[in-house]
Amino acid sequence: MNPLNEFFKRERKRIFEPDAFFTQRVMARIEAGVANKHASRLRDLDFWEVIPSFARPVLALALMLILCFVIVDLFVPQLPQRGMVESFLAPEQSPSESFLYTDSDVASQDVLQQLIAPEED
Amino acid sequence: MEFDRELIVRAQQGDRSAHEAIVNQYSTMVFRLISRFFRSREDVEDIAQDVFLKLFDRIDQVRPDENFPGWLARVTVNTCYDELRKTRRRKEAMETYGPEMAASQTVNPPEPDFLGKARIALQRLDPKLRIPLVLKEVEEMSVEEIAKTMGLTQTNVKVRLFRARKKLQSMLGDRGE
Repeated sequence: MNPLNEFFKRERKRIFEPDAFFTQRVMARIEAGVANKHASRLRDLDFWEVIPSFARPVLALALMLILCFVIVDLFVPQLPQRGMVESFLAPEQSPSESFLYTDSDVASQDVLQQLIAPEED
Repeated sequence: MEFDRELIVRAQQGDRSAHEAIVNQYSTMVFRLISRFFRSREDVEDIAQDVFLKLFDRIDQVRPDENFPGWLARVTVNTCYDELRKTRRRKEAMETYGPEMAASQTVNPPEPDFLGKARIALQRLDPKLRIPLVLKEVEEMSVEEIAKTMGLTQTNVKVRLFRARKKLQSMLGDRGE
């Protein structure tokens, strides 16, 4: 008989059988694997996956509005209450000077008194 | 081997009892196939566990009308192939980087008989050649079955079988003829 055939014949008889607890061990590894996968999936979740799907449009709209407000606030200049020259001169002007240079209404009695007083001196 | 299509569908839906039933039903077949390539019970057990983990990881890819045992055999053989390649690389690294250590550990080993030599020669065969040869000669699969299991063409399997036999005979000398 061919010795190689004899070798293969013997090899056919060499078989390992699973023991009684093999299934339990496999199931334990599967469950451990599922738990690890779940944990790693949670770790890998990005911002949007954490938020429930029904709340996403609302949050997206809110974020868009906030972003628009910030952009408008940054890029559109605010209308000044006073001109540059006015704001530069403001601290140095007394009420009487203010009346002479800017106010168009009739001045109060006090202001008129202030304006007239130096001329009397 | 008959298989329950309903069982596969339930397993795909994540039914734990279906997973358990599949392991119970197919573990003997998986063990038998792995035993063809590995000689230690611990190795066989570890690889069998890996096979089932891979199986349930990719259970969605199984079509219920497909030949499930054939698909499982393919996963098993591929896992064995990967493991054999790893083992071979480790051995080569040991022989390359640790010849003194290897020599000091083997103090005049007894000369093996022909069956021992055949076993060693088979283990030294490239897994690409060894797997089809073992499936043919030990597992007694047809060329068509081997081709399906390994994902090769029948011609490719025949070429590998021819090369494997030739290489084995050259390793064993004339007695392997």
